Amino acid sequence: MKSFEELLTSSAEVHGHLCPGQVVGVRMAMLGCRLIGLDDPTSHDQIKKLIVYVEMDRCTGDAVAHVTGAKLGRRSLKFVDYGIMAATFLNLETEKAYRVLSTEEARDLALHYAPEIVGKYQQQLEAYKRMPDSVLFRVQQVEVSLSEFDLPGPTRRKVSCSRCGQVIRDHREVVENGDNLCKPCAHGSYFKDPKEIIWPDMNWTPTDSRQEAASSGQQEECSWE
Amino acid sequence: MLKTIELKDAVGSKLAHDITEIRPGEFKGPAFRRGHTVCESDLCHLQKLGKNHLYVIDLAEDEIHENEAAVIMATALAGDGVSWKDGPKEGKINLLAETDGLLSVNTAALAAFNMVDEVMCATLHNYTLVKKGDQVAGTRAIPLVMKRAPVERAAAIAKQNGSVVSVRPLQRARVGLVITGNEVYHGLIQDRFAPILTEKVKALGSEVVALDFAPDDVEMINKVIGGQLDRGCDLLLLSGGMSVDPDDVTRNGIRLAGATELHYGAAVLPGSMFLVAYLGEVPLLGVPACGLYHRITVLDLVLPRILAGEKIGKAELAFLGHGGLCQDCPECIYPHCSFGK
Repeated sequence: MKSFEELLTSSAEVHGHLCPGQVVGVRMAMLGCRLIGLDDPTSHDQIKKLIVYVEMDRCTGDAVAHVTGAKLGRRSLKFVDYGIMAATFLNLETEKAYRVLSTEEARDLALHYAPEIVGKYQQQLEAYKRMPDSVLFRVQQVEVSLSEFDLPGPTRRKVSCSRCGQVIRDHREVVENGDNLCKPCAHGSYFKDPKEIIWPDMNWTPTDSRQEAASSGQQEECSWE
Repeated sequence: MLKTIELKDAVGSKLAHDITEIRPGEFKGPAFRRGHTVCESDLCHLQKLGKNHLYVIDLAEDEIHENEAAVIMATALAGDGVSWKDGPKEGKINLLAETDGLLSVNTAALAAFNMVDEVMCATLHNYTLVKKGDQVAGTRAIPLVMKRAPVERAAAIAKQNGSVVSVRPLQRARVGLVITGNEVYHGLIQDRFAPILTEKVKALGSEVVALDFAPDDVEMINKVIGGQLDRGCDLLLLSGGMSVDPDDVTRNGIRLAGATELHYGAAVLPGSMFLVAYLGEVPLLGVPACGLYHRITVLDLVLPRILAGEKIGKAELAFLGHGGLCQDCPECIYPHCSFGK
């Protein structure tokens, strides 16, 4: 594994800024990987052994993902929306898993570990580098049962929603009265009143002659299987 | 886990913890010790101590008794020059100085230790001069029974960077005194600095082996400093010439002597014009004139730390600011005051 400083620099670059959460995230990932016996998680022979659950969508989460190389699209990164500054590191080979929690008291202790630094933000940034792991984290050994439908690899199952027709992958359907439903149809969703629309230039393709003009403007990335 | 039993049913049971008795002005201590088997004749005494129920302990695998916790924590907290005698008393262990010296407290580690739930450690102030046998800290688990994991985590925190409390013996330095100033050098007034500084040096177990006078002359000061180093002095104290007047050239003399590091100014009153310099490994302390007037000054805060082997730099002098204001009491009670704490 690269050094802490190297990882912090590259993580901050990917994330967009250097912040206390980045320091915590890089160290959390380094500790988690060490605990499950992976010394170079992004290497070819280790990358498929690791699953990481992040419990927060904060700066720390990005740093954990960066250091471990875990990715949502590879299914090695799982986001569980607990709002807790914690991540669990699972070694698929050994089935060992450790949940590393950032301690709340570390915030109050920043004053003691970096007394010469003025400003809460900068003080935390430096203090989180100086604190030993024992102060910065608590660790729980945990058992994680991973369904075959949560594992990396090709899609294992597809069904269609009986109500809206949408294809649902990897056993995420909800069965109601014998019908397969997608979660939005079964439980409601974060959006409401979906209405199908048409939009300008809807026949555009990347090979289109207008590609250059389009790409010089705003272009959003998307993922596709 | 703790189970509660009624006192009337307690005969034959073993006490789960020491039971403290306080008789105002007369006695405070354990009336009964942990493990004592309650007999019929104890019941009346226990009732007088306000006990109508007693605990019986049934420890789960992940639980720990306060006494065992205290031993684990005391072991982790005690660094060099600190130990304890006997076992826990009323769940508490007192940490004692093994030697005369300067107490060193890792305040960050102490704070982190105390942030762990259900454990505590209290210490004397950092940099307190202590004698062999003095209590320097006390630790205990707060509850009678607690989970083992936090105790072990607290112990791990306590061990960071060595330990939380240690006592460093003071080195016996061979001190050179350099008294600067034309008025003294030319005999216009009698020096009063040398006796004061000599007394402070002796009180800390060191010895003044050289005493020289120099006028307010950069070359002469440089020469005197060099001469004392040649005579084997390993700590130099300079008085005079630390202020802001044109005649105050002692700093220049120290620079000319080849100071590798020089810090002028300390966040302490009295003593803001204090100077710390290093000539290689040899510390050199410039004592401002306030040392003639005030019984206790910045020198009394820094000299023990120098003798304990600490390197004093810009940060150390700056951090003295909090608590660095002497209240100038009509009758000085230092060290029993806030100065330097």
